[in-house]
Amino acid sequence: MAAPKPQPFQARDKLAFLLSLVPYLMDHDRVTVTEAAAHFGIPPEQIRDAVNLIAVSGLPGETSAYQHDDLFDIDWDAFENDDEIVLTNRVAIDDSPRFSAREASALIMGLQYLSALPEYADRASIASLIAKLSRGTSGAVAPVGVGGAETRESLMPSITLIRDSLDRGMQLEFDYLNARGELERRRVDALQVESVDADWYLRGWCHLREAVRTFRLDRISRAEVTDEPVAHRVSEVRLPELFEASPDDLEVVIDVEPSAMPLLADYIPDGARGQQEGTRVRTAVRVSHYHGLKRLIASMPGVVTVVSPPEARAVVAEWAASAAARYRA
Amino acid sequence: MTPAAVPVEERLFSLVLALLATETGLTKNEILSTVQGYHQRFRSGGDNANLERQFERDKDDIRDLGVPLETLDSPGDAGNNQTLRYRIPKGAYELPTDVTFTSEETALLNLAATVWREGSLSGESRRALLKLRSLGVTADEPLLGYAPRIRLRDAAFDPLDAAIRKGVRVRFAYLKPGEEKATERDVIPLALVQYQGRWHLSAERDGERRVYLLRRIIGPVTTGKPATMPEGDLPAEALAGLQAVWERNVAELQVEAGSDAALRLANRDGAEVTGDHAVLHFVDVNILADELSGFGPEVLVLSPPELRDAVVARLRGVVSAHGGA
Repeated sequence: MAAPKPQPFQARDKLAFLLSLVPYLMDHDRVTVTEAAAHFGIPPEQIRDAVNLIAVSGLPGETSAYQHDDLFDIDWDAFENDDEIVLTNRVAIDDSPRFSAREASALIMGLQYLSALPEYADRASIASLIAKLSRGTSGAVAPVGVGGAETRESLMPSITLIRDSLDRGMQLEFDYLNARGELERRRVDALQVESVDADWYLRGWCHLREAVRTFRLDRISRAEVTDEPVAHRVSEVRLPELFEASPDDLEVVIDVEPSAMPLLADYIPDGARGQQEGTRVRTAVRVSHYHGLKRLIASMPGVVTVVSPPEARAVVAEWAASAAARYRA
Repeated sequence: MTPAAVPVEERLFSLVLALLATETGLTKNEILSTVQGYHQRFRSGGDNANLERQFERDKDDIRDLGVPLETLDSPGDAGNNQTLRYRIPKGAYELPTDVTFTSEETALLNLAATVWREGSLSGESRRALLKLRSLGVTADEPLLGYAPRIRLRDAAFDPLDAAIRKGVRVRFAYLKPGEEKATERDVIPLALVQYQGRWHLSAERDGERRVYLLRRIIGPVTTGKPATMPEGDLPAEALAGLQAVWERNVAELQVEAGSDAALRLANRDGAEVTGDHAVLHFVDVNILADELSGFGPEVLVLSPPELRDAVVARLRGVVSAHGGA
């Protein structure tokens, strides 16, 4: 099962874009389609479609006939010959629209989440931005919030060091304890810090494995920035998706409670089929080794069971049994 | 003859323009008979029920975008739907002139918007960015090296969010850990907060504040009667409440030195690890029990007893489900 994709550009997005493009064009006497496309991050063709629509839109007017003076107008020669947009008549709109309550809260929650990063640790800039967004919102901001991320101060020293190594272009060295329990000193060209909710990862080029690797920040210790320049930068390396499958992965069949499916989405391969099995769903997960699997399955007790292969079942049973045995002593 | 179809965005755009331009408001009939996208389908003196329903949906759509569509009773004819007038007051529509953003702030907002890469809020943040771009500010170079992401995979989020904004009660089935069957809850939803990576609903039930984990809400959320929302910064109160619970709850463990558990638990906030002894804070005993079960024999729970029991029960369950003795 793939992660849910963002929604495609719908009528609502198109309307938001039209209402945003008009004030931008009013502030710019003459702008090329290419410039507008780059500014909005939208393909040039969509800019042209929007301009074509704006140019024939307006007000019904006194006669309800949408007369010329009641419509927007553009310099058609400049548009058709030079791909330039020049508004020559405008109606109704004077300024940029306010944010909706949900739009503002999406940005505010994003800002609250970012306050976990060392750059924004003072939070004064974040607080003033949140106040501004609230004032620029139509109606009240929806009551939503993100917290507990700022308490990730335990990871702050690692993040600060990674930041330093990224800024200076110097290799990073640290002890890493992998999921198999092996501790190794790793030397890495840091590429990117990624996070998903409360979990933080370093993506980097590992000089030991000579490949891009992902490291959980909470498994990193004794990190230091070396005086060796990096050999790889994020612009030069193909960075796979955080949970992208590897051809070496092992596939394991599981039965899972439907309510727990979202928790396993990262492990379920794209296109995997779920099949009803009583109240549960039978599907497959991919893992790099059974050491990771036993931890995953044991952390979701009662909602997921390994069906096959038998070795995988045995590894999970053994892991839980040896833990349970500690309580009998 | 069928008139050429007017694209949805053209009809909505024309509706916004017409309502922004009017001081006194337009009646529904005036809108349907004159505005681009409606008037092509309007039957003078005929049945316009379909078109009226279309207008109702369009009103919802533009309000969802933050466009403040107002209704005004006609003087001397209050409560008459036919003479009700619609308009969009410019002052409430336009971004206040003192709300401006620097290049640095624009870059920060761009980054904030990227945390939503899936789910309904990715669309909201995309539209927020379009409006931000409308101000013409060029963002500073993006802060390199960060790819933050918040997930929103709980199906209950969208209906609860909608109910909170409408100010109505909700009902849902809630499965408490250790119980066989989910039981019905009827609450006033107050705020949705993500705390330490998990989504929670803060709600009022029988006059008391409660917190529900979204992932334990099973099946559909249905809405009920309008409710009175308490005053105050509800998300901040909910987060402070969770933080207080976290500080109060303490677990003591024995951890195997040098193990994955020892390292990761030591990197947890507020954790104190000395040798093989660890002290942790937590919000929910069942969630911590799940997490600790995953560490297998690397962890032995010393206290509290309910955490110890919860972990033992989980481990035995995993053993028997996987054919172990």
